[in-house]
Formats: sequence, C-alpha cells, structure tokens
Amino acid sequence: MNWKKTFAVVRREYVERVRTKAFWIATLLIPILFLAYIGIQISISKKTGGERQLVVVDLTGKLYQPLAKELADTEAKQRKEGSSSKGPHWSLTERPVNGSLDAAKEDLRKEVLAKKINGYLILEPAKLEKEEVEYYSTTVSDFIALSQLQSAIGRIWMRQKMAAHGLPADLAKELETRIDLKPFKVTEKGTAEEKGAGIIAALILLILMYSTFFMYGYQVMRGTIEEKSNRIVEIIVASVRPTELMAGKILGIGLVGLTQYFVWSVVAMNLSLPVFAGLLTSSDMGMPRIPVSLLGYFMLFFLLGYFLYASVYTMISAPFNTDQEAQQLAMIPMTLILGGLAVYPGVMNNPSGGMALFFSLFPFTASLIMFLRTAVSEPPAWQILLSVAIMISTTAGLAWLAGRIYRVGILMYGKKPTIPEILRWARYSPGKAPQPAVKQAS
Amino acid sequence: MDTAIGLTSVSKSFGKFRAVDALSLAVPRGAMFGLLGPNGAGKTTTIRMIMNITAPDSGEIRILGNPMDRETQNRIGYLPEERGLYRKMKVIDHLYFLAAIKEVGREEARRRIADWLDKMELRPWLNKKVDELSKGMQQKIQFIATIVHDPDILILDEPFSGLDPINVALMRDYFLEFRARGKTIVFCTHVLEQAEKLCDEICLMARSKKVLEGSMKELKRRYSQDLLRVAMDASLEEVRTLPGVASAKAVDGTFVLGLAPGTDRREFLKRTLERFRIDAFSQKEPELEEIYIDAVRSAGIEDRTIE
Repeated sequence: MNWKKTFAVVRREYVERVRTKAFWIATLLIPILFLAYIGIQISISKKTGGERQLVVVDLTGKLYQPLAKELADTEAKQRKEGSSSKGPHWSLTERPVNGSLDAAKEDLRKEVLAKKINGYLILEPAKLEKEEVEYYSTTVSDFIALSQLQSAIGRIWMRQKMAAHGLPADLAKELETRIDLKPFKVTEKGTAEEKGAGIIAALILLILMYSTFFMYGYQVMRGTIEEKSNRIVEIIVASVRPTELMAGKILGIGLVGLTQYFVWSVVAMNLSLPVFAGLLTSSDMGMPRIPVSLLGYFMLFFLLGYFLYASVYTMISAPFNTDQEAQQLAMIPMTLILGGLAVYPGVMNNPSGGMALFFSLFPFTASLIMFLRTAVSEPPAWQILLSVAIMISTTAGLAWLAGRIYRVGILMYGKKPTIPEILRWARYSPGKAPQPAVKQAS
Repeated sequence: MDTAIGLTSVSKSFGKFRAVDALSLAVPRGAMFGLLGPNGAGKTTTIRMIMNITAPDSGEIRILGNPMDRETQNRIGYLPEERGLYRKMKVIDHLYFLAAIKEVGREEARRRIADWLDKMELRPWLNKKVDELSKGMQQKIQFIATIVHDPDILILDEPFSGLDPINVALMRDYFLEFRARGKTIVFCTHVLEQAEKLCDEICLMARSKKVLEGSMKELKRRYSQDLLRVAMDASLEEVRTLPGVASAKAVDGTFVLGLAPGTDRREFLKRTLERFRIDAFSQKEPELEEIYIDAVRSAGIEDRTIE
C-alpha cells in the first residue's frame, strides 16, 4: 500500500464530492425535512381539537345527560392540566326517535353528508349489553377523539351498572383510577426513567444509519462504474494499484459520510434542537437524552457497516459498464440492508433473546441490530466485541475478494459478464507477478 | 545495447484464451519502438503487463534493468488505448490529481502543468470542467497527464486514434522531441503506415506470438531483395503464371512481384523480356504491410484481418 498515492485518491474522492452543490443541498435539506416531518407529526397529535357536532340517539333514555357531563368534565380537566393530547370540544344534542330507528338513522346519515353534524352515536340497550355502541361519522380514524368518547361511555355505563347493583358511587370513582406503568431502564450505571424519547432517538439513528448505507454504498457503486464508463480507470491503474484505488475510493466516500453526519449534528445541536425540544417537552415523552455512548456506538457501527457494504458494492459494480447492468446484483446488498431493518421490531421486543443475538452477530445485519441492542439494552461486552470482530473479519474477506474482482473487472469492457465469469476472475493471478526464478541461458 | 524494456518468454492466459504466448523482446534505450499487429494480437495485454496492471503467468519483465516496482512505475508515462477523464473535474484539479498519483510534488506539478498548458495553448481552459472541453482538447490534457512526471519511457497505445490530422502532426512532433531528448518511446498500433513513418525498431505480433523483430532499416533491406516493381505489357494473370513469381499484384498500372526464393533476378528478367515488353523496372522497397503479411505467412499463422 502506497499511502501517498492512496491519499491522493482519497483526497480527490472527498474534495470532488464535498464541493458539489448536490452534497450541500442533501446535507442541509435532509435534517430540515426530517425535523419538519416530526414537527408536523407532533403538532398534529397535539391539535386534534376543534368542535364536534355529535347527535346522540339515546334509546336507554338515561345515558345522554351523564355522557354530556362526563365529556365536559374531561375537557375541563385537560385544560386545567395543560396536557398536550387534547381531544376535541364535544357539542352534543339529543335526538328523540319518532318512528323507526332505521328512518332516524337515514335522516342522520343525510345530515352528516350535508355536513350539518360531524357524526352520530346510537345507544341501544341490547347492543350495550353486548358492550357495543355504534358511532357514525365521515372520519372514524381520529383515535384521540374516539378513545375519549369510548372511555367516557365506558365510565358512565359502569357507574350506572354499579348503581343498579346498589354499590356506592364513590366506589365507582375509586375503581376508575388508572395505573400508570412507568418504565425504568436498568443499566450498569443505575436506573433511569425511560420516557420513550431515548428509544425514539435510537430509532431515528437506526433509520439514518440504514439510509446512509444505501446512500454511500450507491455512491461507491456509481463512482466505480463512472471510472469505467469514463475510460479513465486504466490511466489511474497505471500509477495506482487497483487495491489502492479501491481503498482510496471507499475511504474518501466514507469521509464524505462522516462530514455529512458532522454537519447534521451541528445543525441539530444549534439550530433545530431548541425547536425540537420545545415540541417534545410539551408532549408526554420528555426530552430526548442521547447518551454519548449511544453516539459512540453509532459511529462505530456506522463505520463497520459502511466498510462492509462498500466492499460488497465495489464487488458488484466493478464488472459492469453501466448502472443498469449492475442493478440486478445491487439487489443483494439492498436485501441484506433491508433484512436488518425488517427484524428490528423483534429485536426491540426482546433485545437479549436468541434472535437478537443471532442478527447482531450475522455480519450483514450486525451493524444495525447490534447498534439497536446497545441503544435499548446493555448487551454483554463479549457479544459486542464478537460482533465487531465478525464484522471486521468479514469485511477483510470481502475486501480481498472485491479487490481481486475489481482489478480484473475494471479493465473489462464490452459484453456484460456472467456471474460464473466474475467468480472466475477472482482466481486470476494477482498483481504481484509470480516471477519464476528461471535463470537459464538466454 | 542498453535495454529499456526487456521481456523474457512472457505468457499470459485469460481462462483458456492465451493472450500472449512466450513473448521475448528488447526495447533499446532511446528507441522509437513499434509494437505492431492487428487487433487482438496481444499488444494491449503485453503493454498492461509491462505496466504491471496485469501480471504475467510466467516469464520475466525488466524495466531499465529492474523488475517493475513503484519507483520504476513512476518513470513510465502510459497513454492507454481506452482513455478518458473525470468529466466533472476542473482541468487544473484533474492534472494535479494525475501528477499526485505519480508522486510529483505540488510545486513541481504546478510548474510543469503551467508549461504544458502554455505550450498547448490551453491556459484559458484551466478552470473549466473537462466536460466543457472539445474532444481534441481532452486528448491534449490526456497527453499532458502522460508526461507530467517527465518519464524516461513513454508507452503509447494507439496514440493517434480519434485525433484530427493537425493534432496527429502536433503529437508526432512531441514524440520526436522526446526521442531527441534520449527518452524511449514504445508505440503500439495496428495502423502500419503510422509505425512505418515513425519507428526505428519494431516487433510484429500476430495471434499472441511475436512474428518479427528488428530495426526497420534492416528488415526492409532483408525483404527488398525479392521484390520488383515492373511496368510491362501483360495481364495480371499472365504475370502471375510467369516462372519464378511467387506473388503478384497490380499497383498504379505497374506490377509488384514477389520472386520465389532462389530465383535469380537477372535470369527472371531475361526470360520475361523474351515474352513481353518491359517499359520500366525497379527494386521495390517493401512496405511494412508486405513484410508483415510475409512474416505471418512464413510463421504459419494465417491471419484474418489487417486493417
């Protein structure tokens, strides 16, 4: 390895990429879009407010009044506490049924469609016995409002049943108390209350890691193919060994990735965090506390995963002359990366289980899954070290194979090679010529 | 004789295909050496092995007396047949990069690049992207990249392909200037007329093998003895059937005759004069192409194409 030459390649890859407008647009736009998305999500969840015109058809004849009172009480209570997840303001009207229920329903349906009311509720004794209440509206997906309505009906229904059994009304109040399950994460350093923000931060980082594997893996692929289709590669390998060119390219693009992360974290620290934190603290989740160790693991597993996948991308791009030709094989790393993402819910549920252990040791999913495990639990040190060791040795093996395919592939033009052909290339004699010590009379 | 590049029985196969078969050559220092042959003869593979881009399966390659190493590689300038540039890079950055991978210091590179850009009148294009340059300009940039480290040996694979006549002439002048400074040039082409004008030493390859090697003058002398150019009153058919004629073809109203080995030229003329009127005759200096065809035939390698 000639580091002077390798460095020249690293420098070119880095400078030429960081200099482009596209790099800066992507670097600045992604966090903005990301934060805007989260901001919109949070503010939407906070503002399900507004007024709902609801018609109640109370066939029991005794639920309407308590329900109206219950909903008004809940709203007053929420306003007092300043809770973030406010429900809507319910404006209830009772509608007596003159004639058949079906006719009444049909009238109400028309009123909903004419947007005179938002919806209607049918309280039927027979259905209530089966623990059912019918709610009709054009939108039945606003979960906060619906759950509010559901629990209000549930509560008054329980109270009435208790009254019917002759139990004291105070007992009902006491029975209604909800138990809050407060999760605390137990770690070596003690226990800390986990309000969900830490897990969300870990998931955001996980998605970031996964998408950057794609982004930079793709750049390695494009760069390799570009050198071939530009016909510059032979000029370069006349000065630089193919392994040096490959290493320089992977290192250079990796540095671009680190630069992007650096810019992102600076942006996150200075500009958007106050906004973001403001949104989060007013919600129930609490401030995201991203421990330094998490960021350390993130960097470690990002780099390990990047080098692994960059080797794979080099291997699959070197034999081809166009993106289209390489596309077919590009499915391989894509599937492997997606595989890591697909198993994460299972790992979240049981971060110390057998599945979690397997996928955090399997080299192609290890970076994503081991990172996730360090974020949501404390895997034993030997598992982390084993995972890192497996990834490093797999990467070394892949880089070696990629290098052999690369040195032949980059000089192959013309017809698209088949996979058996590509594998045969790996067996060709390497750059260091086997110089036989034949010193015969010449 | 001082040897710049020496190959001893070098072979290279790709799978079952033998690209270069037991090739030995010696490129004298300071020569303009032509490595010639049709497409697919193994020239590019030979050059790639000299450049240590691909490794030979067997045999030995010595450059300036040493096996190829990093030091030596930096003393060679190589212009491959498949050549291009990074299209999005600025001309100046591109040249710096290509100098850097030859381990030319920044200061040194700056000076040499400036010199060459002036010489080729490319200075106004310094900060333009390669994309914005014409094809001819890009080829000049490639040439500067080949020589920016002031190499002792230049290896040029089809250097004139795609060049317009003005640039061909320009390049040829630079090559001659290089040779005048005592540098060795290996010139690799399938266009024999170009080689004929430039080279003083050649090696002809066909079907992965060397068929002929030597100095151009000597080869021409060796092959001219059996060639005659005759203007005579006869049909090509009649000429072809004359005793002693091995080959005949009509060129510009005359016939170029190859005599069968051992045919006495005076005897042949005397006999011919008895039957036909001969207006003029001269000894024909063979063209490289004729030497080539003859060599390929006598080596027993029937060749498919000569362009």
